[in-house]
Amino acid sequence: MFGSALNPGSLADGAVRWATFESEAMPHVASLFRVALWLTRDTAEAEDLLQETLMEALRSFHRFAQGTNCRAWLVSILYHMQGKRRRTAARLQLVSDAEERIAETTAFEPPTPQNVTDEEVLEALERLPRAFQEVVILADIEEMSYKEIASALEVPVGTVMSRISRGRKLLRAELASYANAHGFGRSTPHQISQKEPLRKP
Amino acid sequence: MQCREFREIADSYLNNELIVETNHGVISHLEQCAECRQELKARRELRGKLRGAFLQSPGNQLPAEFADRLRAQLHDYALGKHGVPPLVSLLGWRSYVRPMPIIWIALAACLLLIIGAGLVLVRQRVVQPKGDEIAVNKQRPTDSLNPAIPVSIVKTELARSAVGDHRDCAVKFRLAEKPIDLEAAGQKYDPVYVNLTKAVLSQRGTGPLDAQFIEAHSCVYQGRRFAHIVLKYRGHLVSFLVTDIEPTKRLQSESDPQVITCSEFDGYKISCFETARHAVFVVSDLTEGDNLALARALAPSVFAHIIRSENNA
Repeated sequence: MFGSALNPGSLADGAVRWATFESEAMPHVASLFRVALWLTRDTAEAEDLLQETLMEALRSFHRFAQGTNCRAWLVSILYHMQGKRRRTAARLQLVSDAEERIAETTAFEPPTPQNVTDEEVLEALERLPRAFQEVVILADIEEMSYKEIASALEVPVGTVMSRISRGRKLLRAELASYANAHGFGRSTPHQISQKEPLRKP
Repeated sequence: MQCREFREIADSYLNNELIVETNHGVISHLEQCAECRQELKARRELRGKLRGAFLQSPGNQLPAEFADRLRAQLHDYALGKHGVPPLVSLLGWRSYVRPMPIIWIALAACLLLIIGAGLVLVRQRVVQPKGDEIAVNKQRPTDSLNPAIPVSIVKTELARSAVGDHRDCAVKFRLAEKPIDLEAAGQKYDPVYVNLTKAVLSQRGTGPLDAQFIEAHSCVYQGRRFAHIVLKYRGHLVSFLVTDIEPTKRLQSESDPQVITCSEFDGYKISCFETARHAVFVVSDLTEGDNLALARALAPSVFAHIIRSENNA
């Protein structure tokens, strides 16, 4: 639509390109910044990554199919830009470590605690292994669909579903253990069943 | 739909990622189960809190000055006023999308290694069944109950406890006490628990039917501790439970576990066998024949494991 490179034929082409890009892509800048910040854990690096991402998006904007989800497309580019870092051994180690933690936690499905504060929720999210934080953030905070996340991360949808399920379970387990340690949160399932008898399904 | 199944897909339900039929199943279950309604409400609230906290966190806000500068740069770039902005390193992106030939060579080598390893694994599977699948001997008659076998541990409170543990732990997740790792429990409470999972999963037979391993832990139901291995067989949850009993003088041969069935409790079928110091239960809502067949398929290696452990104790 706009040509393949930023060497447009005329100023008018550039103006049209910018107008379209501004209406489609720019509303997602804040969301992209949050994802970039999470990926880099550093404000300056996140800014650089975001800038690179948007520059590449602008250069490749002719490939974007209008009417589709622009934010998912941008997140996909963001992950491409961060690709080399994503494929390091350190990251794989984190996933492996997570699997061990899962083995310890999936034996019990804790009830979801209530009355937790924002800080406690964010701290619990911070304690999750990165592979699980990633999908929880994209799904629950950025509200991307499983398919969009799979496309951005270049993994099968089944992997996304599995990671999201485990990530949320770990998050609940983190909050439940915190709640138990500090004596707050939802009452135990036994207490609930005494108050509100379970109707057998 | 059971509570366990609901809780596995509850998050996908909240994300509207389920197919219509599954959605109907969820809604139907929620209409009947107050506990799961409460759980869904709590999860919805937790998601809302997580999103709100993350979005409002001061550290996650896009700096306004940077946003303005970025917008101006992009605008100028789109209009061809500037070349590459100073902070941008397009070389990195291009080098990523166009990997150097040596990377392709490395990738090809890895691919060959993976294919080779895969062939070896496939070859091994042909020789013997997969480790995490349990082979069930279909040819064993499932209705060959032996009335002569002493029914010392069936129709007892022990069997009721086994059913209660299956229901409250495996199906409904409502035990008051959090289960602990099975191997750790083996070190602390009962050496029989150590490597019990391996004994269950190492069972072999002919005409295999796959039972899927779900999890293994040690849990307590009404004061009684169990080693609890949860399996899925023909779409049903199955609990394999081991607990200690008062030492008895067993009548049967120690090399031959006598697996028997007994009356159902609360709609769950129970098959069991015992050693000198342990009772073993297989509890599920399978048919009586399937439950017994599964128990019989699992029994030999587990029986040998427990006997070995008891003799070493």
